[in-house]
Amino acid sequence: MQIERKITLPKIGMWIILLAMLFFTLMPIIFMLTASFMTSRQILRMPFSWIPEGFAWENFAKAIQGNDQTYIFLRNITNSLVVSTTVAVTTVLIASLTGYGLAKFRFRGRTTIFMMIMATMMIPFEAIMIPLYMVIMMLRIQNSYIGLILPFLVSAFGVFQMKQYLTTFPTEFLDAARVDGMGEFGIFARIVFPNCKPVIATLAILSFRSQWDNLLWPLLVSQSERMKTIPQYISSFALERSTDEGAMMAAALLASIPMFVLFMSLTKYFIGGSAVYESRKG
Amino acid sequence: MGLKPYRGIEKKQARWGFIFVLPSMLFFSLFSFYPIINAFYTSFFDKRALSKAPPEFLGLGNYIRLFDPGRAANSLSFYNSLRATMVFTLGTFIPLLILSLLIAVFISNLSSNKTKKFLQISYYCPAILSSVVAATIWMIIFDPRGLGNQWVNALLGTPGVDQGWLVDPVMEQVSTMVIYFWKYIGYFVILFITGLASIPPTIYEAATIDGATKSQVFWRITLPLLKPTVVLVSVMAMLQCLKTFSTQYMLYSNGAPRAPINVITFNIYVTGIQQQYLGRASAMSVVLFIMMLLLTLLQFKTTKSENVDY
Repeated sequence: MQIERKITLPKIGMWIILLAMLFFTLMPIIFMLTASFMTSRQILRMPFSWIPEGFAWENFAKAIQGNDQTYIFLRNITNSLVVSTTVAVTTVLIASLTGYGLAKFRFRGRTTIFMMIMATMMIPFEAIMIPLYMVIMMLRIQNSYIGLILPFLVSAFGVFQMKQYLTTFPTEFLDAARVDGMGEFGIFARIVFPNCKPVIATLAILSFRSQWDNLLWPLLVSQSERMKTIPQYISSFALERSTDEGAMMAAALLASIPMFVLFMSLTKYFIGGSAVYESRKG
Repeated sequence: MGLKPYRGIEKKQARWGFIFVLPSMLFFSLFSFYPIINAFYTSFFDKRALSKAPPEFLGLGNYIRLFDPGRAANSLSFYNSLRATMVFTLGTFIPLLILSLLIAVFISNLSSNKTKKFLQISYYCPAILSSVVAATIWMIIFDPRGLGNQWVNALLGTPGVDQGWLVDPVMEQVSTMVIYFWKYIGYFVILFITGLASIPPTIYEAATIDGATKSQVFWRITLPLLKPTVVLVSVMAMLQCLKTFSTQYMLYSNGAPRAPINVITFNIYVTGIQQQYLGRASAMSVVLFIMMLLLTLLQFKTTKSENVDY
């Protein structure tokens, strides 16, 4: 139709807003990319030039060597990978087990249990971190992977997502498998679990990312340099190297690579993952 | 006769269901319900982390101290934290809500699917960076010699002025809002696009045939039908903002003044972990919990009554 093609004033306004927002969201990321190859003098030059003069590779060397040349960066990023991966795996496993139990079995207290789990969504982590910290101190598991992972083994949101997904799973398949003499755990492991791939991928990514981003809990649990996670590393590196902007950006870039790789290869699960929150309404 | 084996199966089924649910029940009892009850309990005591003596019972003492009007003037008081949290939440979530809704409507009206996808992914990019990385990037942009000043001065025609992004009390709060807004805008745009996609196109077609203009369609059809999503997204955005911590922590630890950005979570961290006043920090936690609980209940109440059937 002709009307659609007309260039109107509102249309120009719309594009100005869309492009301004595009600039606003991408500019800092491009800034991080170019600045990580610049010396501090170049980064803070007025006016700023977006093309680096040569490659300041030493930024990356400094970022990896860390403040005391101990290469603690490698240890810290490994910690983050271990914690985030473990949390992703346990969340998927426990949430799918629970979601399956709630969706496909009838037992006394089922609704109550479901409501109780949903109610925990109203308890923000920030409000229970002090008691959790006391528990960690009492159990003497500060500075350990267990301490970092324990409060995040599964999430209520994960349980909810798995339950919603599995409610629509055809019960006939399960009954057929039971008639064939398959055990309940076998049914779960070989029939239910493999058929939840999209929701599992989304849940795994969300849990991985939330731990990759977690600063608060590691601040309480990890006091020793060796047990710190990557957000803590960036934070203390930025503090000690506050005049070396190039190295700061290199460290920030290195810390973001795993998430960028995940995002580029699994974009639809990221975007789908945020859309799943929609189903919470109603 | 025929009933008995059936009952057996049902019993067996019930047992399996219970077994599958058990790990979660244990987890949530130990790591959600116990800590929140413990937070309430601890908030009535003068508990210190390092003291070996049994904590002294204070009753409502911790709460009275938090809300003591005599302390309101203190720049690091809990009143100031409430104010900082309120300012941050309102200043972040209102622009976030309006702009993400506007942009989602714009994107949904685009005809090219490629452009739609490109814009969505680009807007979403900041969300994949961690909050700490986001704060680090922006701290350099907000340097007195950085891009922030260069651009704002170019826009306002005020060359050479330092806006004091990380120093001035007001600008510092604006900076935290900008960083947060930047990180979450794409996420909320996608939420709204999903909400918009659930409105059946036939309604729009009918309206266009009846001669409705674009703005009429937006105000009379899109917005009312989108109301559940708007409520959901705004409550989610508010809850997110109330929990902000990393941005404030990063700015403060790199030399920005603490009082303007001393939000509740940050105050809990400093009081409970750095100063080791666990009882007082627990009282703050309880206040934060109650605030968020009220917001969530409000969301449930509004979405329950506003469910639209097409």
